[in-house]
Amino acid sequence: MKIPWFYFASPPTFYRLAGWMAPAFFALAALLGAAGLYTGLVVAPTDAQQGEVYRIIFIHVPASWMSMFIYFVMACYGAVSLTFNTRLAAMMARALAPTGAMFTFVALWTGSFWGRPTWGTYWVWDARITSELVLLFLYFGFIALANAFEDPRRGDRAAALLALIGLVNLPIIYFSVLWWNTLHQGSSVKFTGSTMHVAMLWGMLLVALSFWMYSIGASLTRVRAIILERERRTHWVRGLAT
Amino acid sequence: MKPHEFYLWMSYGMTAVALLAEIVALRMRRARSLKRIEEERDLEAQD
Repeated sequence: MKIPWFYFASPPTFYRLAGWMAPAFFALAALLGAAGLYTGLVVAPTDAQQGEVYRIIFIHVPASWMSMFIYFVMACYGAVSLTFNTRLAAMMARALAPTGAMFTFVALWTGSFWGRPTWGTYWVWDARITSELVLLFLYFGFIALANAFEDPRRGDRAAALLALIGLVNLPIIYFSVLWWNTLHQGSSVKFTGSTMHVAMLWGMLLVALSFWMYSIGASLTRVRAIILERERRTHWVRGLAT
Repeated sequence: MKPHEFYLWMSYGMTAVALLAEIVALRMRRARSLKRIEEERDLEAQD
């Protein structure tokens, strides 16, 4: 079956499609979030070393994963927009940035409140934490640059370029705990397996899935507003606001 | 309040605030966009 990409990439079509899909993704996010929090806060046992405070993991790790994953997807949309000059890809990159920044902030904030009882400090200039902070600044830079031009297409191109350059930070974040001697612990979950209790692992994975669904719902909702702003002088948008 | 509860509440609370703030911002942005379209259309109709 051949997928009509150009049909779905047209702003009027995608606007309607996103309007149908976003509530479904938000509903999925709520269901998975409830299941993940129940598993993490009720089912998962108390950690032998850290006690109850380890339960911050059920937000901290999924938020950190999403902060990096959203940046990667945003850069991919940026690359597509630069290569094929597609309007929708650039709008999707713009729509993802605030959600990515929000998850990066949540990862830093929860990490800080986990660090205080376990390391004795809210903040250290550790390689993992510093590179995550750089990611937050990259998101801010992307948003600022995208909105710095009167012509939005110029803003799209400049921001896409910044997103692509900033990609180099992702492997630095991921491998920082291996490359440098850091205070931050290494990964408990790898592609080869996990050292965690099964309930802890499921709690974390369910919340991660919930954040993923939420990110899709939020970016689809935001891209609808961006489409309205960009296409406001077209007949189909004028018809919507009646 | 047990010592760990403060750190848990601060983490889960801020996450809830951040998610809610984004949802409110999304709704406000959509309402602002629609209002702008209506205003521009009314201005053109007056011309």
